[in-house]
Amino acid sequence: MIFVGSAKNGFWPRLLATFAYGLPVLLIVAPLASFLAYSFFRMEGGQIVADLSFGNYQRFFTDAIFIPILWRTCLLCLAVAALTILIGFPVAFLLANLKGRRRYLVLLMVLVPLLMSYIIKIYAIRSILGGTGFLNRFLLWTGLVDAPLTLFVFNLNAVLLTLTILLIPFAILPIFLSLERIPRDLIEASSDLGASSLQTFARIILPLSVPGIVTAASFVFVLAIGDFLTPQMVGGQSGFTFGRIVYSQFGTAFNWPFGAALATILGLVAIAVIAAGSRLEARQR
Amino acid sequence: MMRLPGYAIGALWAMTGVVFLLLYSPLVIPIVSSFFAITHGEVQWHDPSLASYAALTANAGILEAVGNTLIVGFSASVLSIVCGTLLAIHYCGGKSLGREAMQFAIYLPFLMPPIITGLSLLIFFRETGIPRSLMTVIVAHTVFVQALTYRTIVVRLQSIGPEMIEASTDLGASAWQTFIHIILPNLASTLIGAGVLSFALSFDETMITLLVTGTDSTLPIRLWAMMRLGFSPDINALVAIILALTTLLCILAVRLLLPGEAQPAE
Repeated sequence: MIFVGSAKNGFWPRLLATFAYGLPVLLIVAPLASFLAYSFFRMEGGQIVADLSFGNYQRFFTDAIFIPILWRTCLLCLAVAALTILIGFPVAFLLANLKGRRRYLVLLMVLVPLLMSYIIKIYAIRSILGGTGFLNRFLLWTGLVDAPLTLFVFNLNAVLLTLTILLIPFAILPIFLSLERIPRDLIEASSDLGASSLQTFARIILPLSVPGIVTAASFVFVLAIGDFLTPQMVGGQSGFTFGRIVYSQFGTAFNWPFGAALATILGLVAIAVIAAGSRLEARQR
Repeated sequence: MMRLPGYAIGALWAMTGVVFLLLYSPLVIPIVSSFFAITHGEVQWHDPSLASYAALTANAGILEAVGNTLIVGFSASVLSIVCGTLLAIHYCGGKSLGREAMQFAIYLPFLMPPIITGLSLLIFFRETGIPRSLMTVIVAHTVFVQALTYRTIVVRLQSIGPEMIEASTDLGASAWQTFIHIILPNLASTLIGAGVLSFALSFDETMITLLVTGTDSTLPIRLWAMMRLGFSPDINALVAIILALTTLLCILAVRLLLPGEAQPAE
């Protein structure tokens, strides 16, 4: 762009090109390649042996623990995606109907929670859901329950609720953007032809917001499945997820090659979801 | 977008209110307890105090972690802006071989689950014999936020268009002069905005950092380690201050990135 004519083959353009290829190769491609290579290594007597084999992947497919946990984790993340979309849609729809200063303020209010420390948010949610937490004391106070609920204490439900609360903004934004893209003429045409606002919503707005819903779902799913801190903090013994197993291979279990293989599988699931999402979105448009 | 009946608008506001209750309760609890003591699960509303803010100044360990986080955030934003600008100029410079593949590689650390970005760097540092320290955290954060700065700069460069740059070259400016006098001034607000967003991302990055950090920990790692024992009131004071500052910073950044559109004017 800034180099023209004979200057294109000079020293500086070459240096720039070297940098532009060198940096991603050195800091992104090479680490990923070594990570993939590790997934084919194995452990022997506490040492990592650089012996290529499919042993780690074989263990994933033959051991009875891993596939059910991966499946359960996927279902959990699907539920998180569905919940965030259900909860986020009305906010996105309100945003699309607001103008000027009000829209700016509501949008800002959606984004501010993202700036709060992740760890502190999880800790606060834990103190809300806990046995003596705010939720239980509220329920006891209203008389809805007689004894504190243990439904949301250190289990998968707690993980589900916490992830949902953390990821709502990531569902609101894509849906809001897709609502923004709906041509105004379509909506006006619909009401000119005598459709009620409910009909316009059901026949025009909802179908045209599907690309945004799909993007939101794949966003939230990938963020949820990659999160190993939330399940660790609010999941307790029963709230074991796939991400936690991967992370434990690099800590207590100390089996880096097996951890790398499990992480590769996690990555493949994430890639499959992103690819499926963008194909669905392209078809809906 | 459409003329909604009054009850529909009211219902939407009500639902949004409930969503904000969900989103804000995890923020309000630490902020309230930074001003009011909580004894036996009851907030002492009658007795506000700034004691937790005063206690914060005596907590050397946490202040050191904040210092580390600032160093990492600042270095990673500056590095990612410099690298992002160079990469973007190269990408926009013509049809060089494999540039789409390179662009895809740049996005990868941002698209993949953080555990994969973190693990691949962890294994890479181990294989190359680089000890884990704040330096490795800075490298990891740079690689992570660079996807965002790079993308923002490419979009801006493409919107500047080739005319101005061609005019500059036609008038006899060298590549360096074109960069300094044409490209940089046009990029300035984008660079500042992207820098602030990178800083905010780096400031709270936890999962990648957890994998590549050494003995010097950043704030999120420190908080993660403290969690098992519970937090002292001064931590609430700290996160309240940080939330206020980052919010202000990001409002400024958004205004720089989206001039006109983001203005709250009618």
